[in-house]
Amino acid sequence: MAEVADIRRDNVWLGGAGRAVAIVAGAVGAVGLGIGGAIAWAQPDQRAHFFASYLTNYCYFLSLGLGGLFLVLLEHLARAGWSVVVRRLAEGIASTLPVLCLLFLPVLWGMGYLYPWVNPRGDLAEHLQHLLEWKRPYLNTGFFGVRAGIYLVVWLAISYYYLALSSRQDRTGEPRLTLRLEGLAPVAIILFGLTLTFASFDWMMSRDPFWYSTIFGVYYFAGCVVGGFALVTVVAVLLQRGGRLVSAISPDHYQDLGKYTFGFIVFWAYIAFSQYLLIWYGNIPEETQWYVRRSHGPWGGVSVLLLLGHFVLPFVAIISRWPKRRPALLGAVCVWILGVHWFDVYWLVMPEYSATAVPLSWLDVVLFVGMGGVCTARALLWLGRRPLIPIRDPRLEESLAFENA
Amino acid sequence: MGENIPPADVPVVPRAGTVYGVLAEYDGVAPLLEAAAKVRDGGYTYWDTYTPIPIHGLDEAMGIRKTRLPWVVFGAGVSGALLALLMQWWMNAFNYSYVVSGKPLLNLPPYIPIIFEVTILLSAITAFLGMLLLNKLPQLYHSWFASRAFARRVTTDRFFIGIEARDPKFDIAEVRALLGSTRASQVETVVEPAAPAMPEQVRKYGLPVAVLLLAVALVPPLLIAKARLTPRNSPRVQVIADMDQQPKFLPQQANPLFLDDRAMRPLVAGTVAVHHANLDKFLYQGIAEGQWATGFPMPVTTTLVARGQARFNIYCTACHGWDGAGNGPAAVQGAARSPESWVMPTSLLDGVVRERPNGHIFNTISNGIRTMPAYGDQIPVADRWAILGYVRALQLSQAAPKALVPAERQAELR
Ligand code: HEC
Repeated sequence: MAEVADIRRDNVWLGGAGRAVAIVAGAVGAVGLGIGGAIAWAQPDQRAHFFASYLTNYCYFLSLGLGGLFLVLLEHLARAGWSVVVRRLAEGIASTLPVLCLLFLPVLWGMGYLYPWVNPRGDLAEHLQHLLEWKRPYLNTGFFGVRAGIYLVVWLAISYYYLALSSRQDRTGEPRLTLRLEGLAPVAIILFGLTLTFASFDWMMSRDPFWYSTIFGVYYFAGCVVGGFALVTVVAVLLQRGGRLVSAISPDHYQDLGKYTFGFIVFWAYIAFSQYLLIWYGNIPEETQWYVRRSHGPWGGVSVLLLLGHFVLPFVAIISRWPKRRPALLGAVCVWILGVHWFDVYWLVMPEYSATAVPLSWLDVVLFVGMGGVCTARALLWLGRRPLIPIRDPRLEESLAFENA
Repeated sequence: MGENIPPADVPVVPRAGTVYGVLAEYDGVAPLLEAAAKVRDGGYTYWDTYTPIPIHGLDEAMGIRKTRLPWVVFGAGVSGALLALLMQWWMNAFNYSYVVSGKPLLNLPPYIPIIFEVTILLSAITAFLGMLLLNKLPQLYHSWFASRAFARRVTTDRFFIGIEARDPKFDIAEVRALLGSTRASQVETVVEPAAPAMPEQVRKYGLPVAVLLLAVALVPPLLIAKARLTPRNSPRVQVIADMDQQPKFLPQQANPLFLDDRAMRPLVAGTVAVHHANLDKFLYQGIAEGQWATGFPMPVTTTLVARGQARFNIYCTACHGWDGAGNGPAAVQGAARSPESWVMPTSLLDGVVRERPNGHIFNTISNGIRTMPAYGDQIPVADRWAILGYVRALQLSQAAPKALVPAERQAELR
């Protein structure tokens, strides 16, 4: 039997370097958000573009935060042992959710630009007006705000509870806390699923209020989980490069992270295809319009990029055991995945702003850096205050000894 | 060649009493792993470890190379995908080409789920059978069970290494010394057991019992075969009747309630069904004064002809084509498929049809003609006349007198 990795010599603290990176990231982030906001303020004709880009980046970083939270919930739900060594990293990612709640406010501010149902155009065809009227009880600004509040509160509550108890266990070592977290996991994960689904309906799908797809939430969820696993992997690689957790996280852990990333890449493709096939086959104009916008001209190119970059390439790259056990290689693939995942969210949000051209611009970069910087700062500060692994988790030993047969 | 010396490369069937191999017993994982590494380094081929639980690192200690199974499974998966693609392609595009909801015959998206399923199916079956095969399973008996220690504890709490006598390097003293030098709790030479004798009862009654069982097993299939071959008059037993039997009469059935024994009732003389009076022969049948009518029962306006055009395009173009020349897509397809027997639709621009009186064409639309089916049930009367109006317009359009062409475009004529 393999010996338990001796982590007493491992550095499990982020320390001063982490704080320094956090401060830089936070400063850069604040500047980025500031510049983006200033431009939107000064140039009213840029505002529609600004908000669309803002929503893209918001939904992107939200997907990572929610992905991290999902990993935490999943571990407790399944009473998983292997993943304990990386759970704190997932918790760190989920610790960005409070920041993301604040970052949601501009979306409320830009509703008029983002959602056509807020101020419907006067020249809409009669049946479309009728449709909006019909959806009014759900799609109205007041209820939209209330729902958003509910989603955010649910995420805050779940993440607060899970992160706080996990940190408390570091100090007290009570195994009872693990049992409490496991007991609550089924409820938490159901709430998580419902809020995530409806949030994606509200915030992204209603960008085209005449279109609907019941599987849309699952699609976004698949992206969240892919993002969560890829990001945990990347963070683990970076930390090990920085001399942290060197013996705690072994190739066996990477292999499992890789398996999950691989599995959810396939899941993502499966869901994407399921949505596409039914709409394509039914061939009803009110359903196909959304894909028509995304399958012609430059957006068609982005769709192909997603098919190849978000599915085929990672599929081939990490199907085998060999790359999954090589942190540098797996990390590189995960960085790539995080990149195409951004384009996935972009592809969900943007075509409703610009149907004929892919309006990539420096605004996207500024907002990406802004939000990414702020979120990174928050996660690093949170991780800096506690060890990088749940040192007194009752399953830690099992996790350290974990081996892939 | 001597009778009793088998050629060297034919495996010898072990005979009772010969040494089968040497077995070493361990009471922990660590000594087992050490010993396995030693035996591996000793260069033996026919040996194995036997443990009650899976042990990480044992493969490495034994020097077992990585399994080839993933590649086999991968191959099976790829062939599953190709097979499914080929199957659907052949079925949909060749064997039974049939257009479904306007989609092309060779049409990837709906194939993908089936490709996916077959890929998984073949991979899973191959993984399972391949695992059994590579492990040489199922194996009902193994000579190591001649050792009491092995038989009693190998699946509970002891670990074993066995080196078999057929190994080319096997030398009993050397092997015993090697295993003795490990931390074995016991080393034992296992002798091939004598084949267990057949019990008396089995020898006596075995055959008759087997024959009897076989005969009994044949009864159900024979009963089924008999039931299938015997005609009967009584209705078959229906466990779940669904709506197969309904208390109603079908056309042409008998019904003893009526004097004429027929379930279908003839029209009562002198009555007309609602909306079936159709007294106006001109309007409904295209007959005026006993002849095919030549005019129209309503004024011919552009609205009427436009309506006729729309209806014509819906009902007639599939066969007669957009211009009425008789080359509609259904006709072209049909002719391509069965050129010997296909009757092409008449060109409506033909002299024959031009000469037909209006009432005749109206009647053709209503009741069909020769191989052309009737459209009276689908197209309301007024629309049928409207179509006729458009047919006349088509005919005119293809052979209009020069005078009808607007003066400013006369120059374009060739
Ligand atoms: C299913 C194919 C089909 C459709 C639809 C169809 N036809 Fe025909 N039609 C035929 C065929 C085939 C013939 C030739 C029949 C034959 O010679 O046996 C024909 C013949 C005719 C003729 C010539 C009959 C004659 O006097 O010899 C006329 C006129 C005609 N069609 C009019 C129409 C009009 C008007 C419609 C639309 C309401 C129509 N058809 C729809 C297949 C079709």
